Amino acid sequence: MSDRTADWLAGMWLVLVVLVSLFASALTAHDPYDPAGPTLAPPGGPFPLGTDALGRDLWSRLAYGGRFSLGASLLASGLTVLLGGSLGLLAAALGGWVERGVLWLANSMLAIPGLLLAMLLVAGMGPGMPTVILAVAIGGTPGYARLSRGLFAALREMGYVAAAAALGAGRFWLAWRHVLPNARDHLISLATTSFAWAFLGTTTLTFLGLTGEPALPEWGALLNAGRLHLVQAPRLVILPGVLITLTILSVHRLGDWLSRRIAT
Amino acid sequence: MVPIPHRRPTGALLALGRRILDGVLTSWAAVTITFFALRLAAGDPLAALLSQGLASREQAEALRHQLGLDLPLHVQYLRFLTALPQGSLGTSLYTGQPVVRIVAGQLPATAELATFGAGLAIAMGLFLGVSAAWWPRTAIGRAARGLAGLSTALPVALTGTLVVLTASQILRAAPGNPALIEAKRLALPGIVLGYALAGPIGRVVHTGLGQSLRAPYFLAARARGIRQAPRLLWHALRPVLAPAVSLSALEGAYLFAGTVVTETIFSRPGLGRLLVGAILQGDYPVAQGVIVLAALFYTASQVMADGLAILIDPRIKGDG
Repeated sequence: MSDRTADWLAGMWLVLVVLVSLFASALTAHDPYDPAGPTLAPPGGPFPLGTDALGRDLWSRLAYGGRFSLGASLLASGLTVLLGGSLGLLAAALGGWVERGVLWLANSMLAIPGLLLAMLLVAGMGPGMPTVILAVAIGGTPGYARLSRGLFAALREMGYVAAAAALGAGRFWLAWRHVLPNARDHLISLATTSFAWAFLGTTTLTFLGLTGEPALPEWGALLNAGRLHLVQAPRLVILPGVLITLTILSVHRLGDWLSRRIAT
Repeated sequence: MVPIPHRRPTGALLALGRRILDGVLTSWAAVTITFFALRLAAGDPLAALLSQGLASREQAEALRHQLGLDLPLHVQYLRFLTALPQGSLGTSLYTGQPVVRIVAGQLPATAELATFGAGLAIAMGLFLGVSAAWWPRTAIGRAARGLAGLSTALPVALTGTLVVLTASQILRAAPGNPALIEAKRLALPGIVLGYALAGPIGRVVHTGLGQSLRAPYFLAARARGIRQAPRLLWHALRPVLAPAVSLSALEGAYLFAGTVVTETIFSRPGLGRLLVGAILQGDYPVAQGVIVLAALFYTASQVMADGLAILIDPRIKGDG
């Protein structure tokens, strides 16, 4: 399989997952929360992928699950980019002790591995989906702040920034008008990495049962719930697991593609 | 003759000392962040107890006073910090047992799994990386690259469950097979964990070895007549080891997360299960204790790895 084919497949997979999540209600016949049939029914008939231990339609739970898994990680990585990027930009724009302070804080926070930091915050705020999102977002922030600071600081030294400064542009104007637009491509590439991290972080935390809501059809939670019936119905575990894996693989592929595009 | 640059003999030691001091500062920062992040995130640390009806309002007040939660935050912090070197991490909200004793009870199981998994990860990573670089453009090299790439993409949650599934299918065919039951206890979780961590190590070794196979010193070694593959390999591999060691320590971040998931899948006792249980119960001193311990361990392993890298490759001075 050539690189181009793999890129295409990854892109198509992501589009497919997003479309299915968006139109889940039109694509499924059963409510993801309602027991609609016999328990652990095999695939076929009214249930294309069978039912789970409570008789809920697995296809419907997986389709709606995309909303939670993708939505949560999108929100979390969006927050990470916003928080980390602002801190990075602020540090690079102001320099001096602000920059040293932000770097010191980020480096100190990196002493606690991201997922552990996220678990710490869940421990404080109590389990639940909003908590998981916020915790994953903050867990990824120090790394993003440090990387984007490096990016902004490199652009700060460019000739056009010096030229604009010589014409009398202020710090924030320089940051907003000259540094930020030129960092866009790299920031998007970094954001893709951050999304991959957020997705893995979210599904790991939900897999550990930290959704606080057992009925929630989220891929990590489905993978966890399916383990109880592993031998009778392996599909309950394999299907959400494969969905998570293919999505992570595709996002990584997308990130590689983006950084290759920037490099050339 | 090119003059040999003067090198202070204490260079490596100085770099090592600076790194250790840095590690102590980082540990302090990690402990401080753990303390404040938990207090800031939790409105009321006893909320879980109250909401579950496990304590009346008066009991909660008494507990608050006993735990020192009614004191100003900076006083609590100083108390926590001074108790830490004496080996005290507070007591569990549920059992009243010292956290240190609870953690110590679960530590051996996790240490066993983490050591075994990390050892396997380094062995597998080296093997995959060397195979990929030594035999590029052959079936072996491609397979090694593929396996290394897949390792980073497959979540432990999936590989682990698939391994458990296979093992339980075999166990159904041969119930009570003692070898398999023993394997399910340590070997299988170790392999799952090790494989997940092997990918990045493999990639670093692959890239580094690929570079040094093209480097002049490698050509020089061949020109000197070194023919045996093991000696040649050692020549090319040595400069790659320092970055590989540093990376292995950075992977320690993932090691703990991987251990938590692996313990859950294989229903193994350990710190990971303890942490998840404590989070679900709202037993914040226990959760805090496990996280402090993991962060300290992570920092220590990074310091040790950097020290090892300085010893392996004297060109590193710790400030690069």
